[in-house]
Amino acid sequence: MIALAPLGSSAQGDPERGKVVAYTCTGCHGIPFYKNIYPTYSVPKLGGQNQEYLISALKAYREGTRRHATMQAQAATLSDQDILDVTAYFVSIGENES
Amino acid sequence: MNRLTLLTGMLVTSIISLALGSPAHAAGGDYRRGLEKSQVCQSCHGRTGNESLQPSYPRLAGQHEDYLVHALESYRDGSRQNAVMAGFAGNLSDQDIADLAAWYSRQKGLQDLDVE
Repeated sequence: MIALAPLGSSAQGDPERGKVVAYTCTGCHGIPFYKNIYPTYSVPKLGGQNQEYLISALKAYREGTRRHATMQAQAATLSDQDILDVTAYFVSIGENES
Repeated sequence: MNRLTLLTGMLVTSIISLALGSPAHAAGGDYRRGLEKSQVCQSCHGRTGNESLQPSYPRLAGQHEDYLVHALESYRDGSRQNAVMAGFAGNLSDQDIADLAAWYSRQKGLQDLDVE
């Protein structure tokens, strides 16, 4: 009963550690208008995205139920804690800038 | 001289039409039509794409237009699997997808990651 999460937020994970984990991610997701090729489209913006959605996306890539060669390779190296932390970091970006 | 003037005129005309682009192109979605077509989407993603009904649903506001097109096309052709989205995307035309992507990408929301 001491440390309750903020009301309406289910954010978990350590955004500070997540920022370190996210270093590799920024190679594509941190460059504005960076393009995926075959097919060509802009890699999605992640800053401020809902954490539960990001967690389910990364786990789906890790399990192979969502397919994308680069993302499957990246997600395969992530532990559950990595996923919590890195997604907490992505959420925090939206909170800082809005 | 007349022929030269005519040729120059034709060249200028074709450059202008190239620059304006074809209105039917997929990247040329109409955001106003997108808003009209987004009634079903709004029940889960909200009017601007910031008001997700469930935290497991993504925010769409401010997402890249061409990524939204890719996502909807992938749900439609089954290469991205989600039971709920498959049902909705399966009914969308290319123009519907372009219009919806135009609407949600123009809303204020998602941010790029900072690179320091």
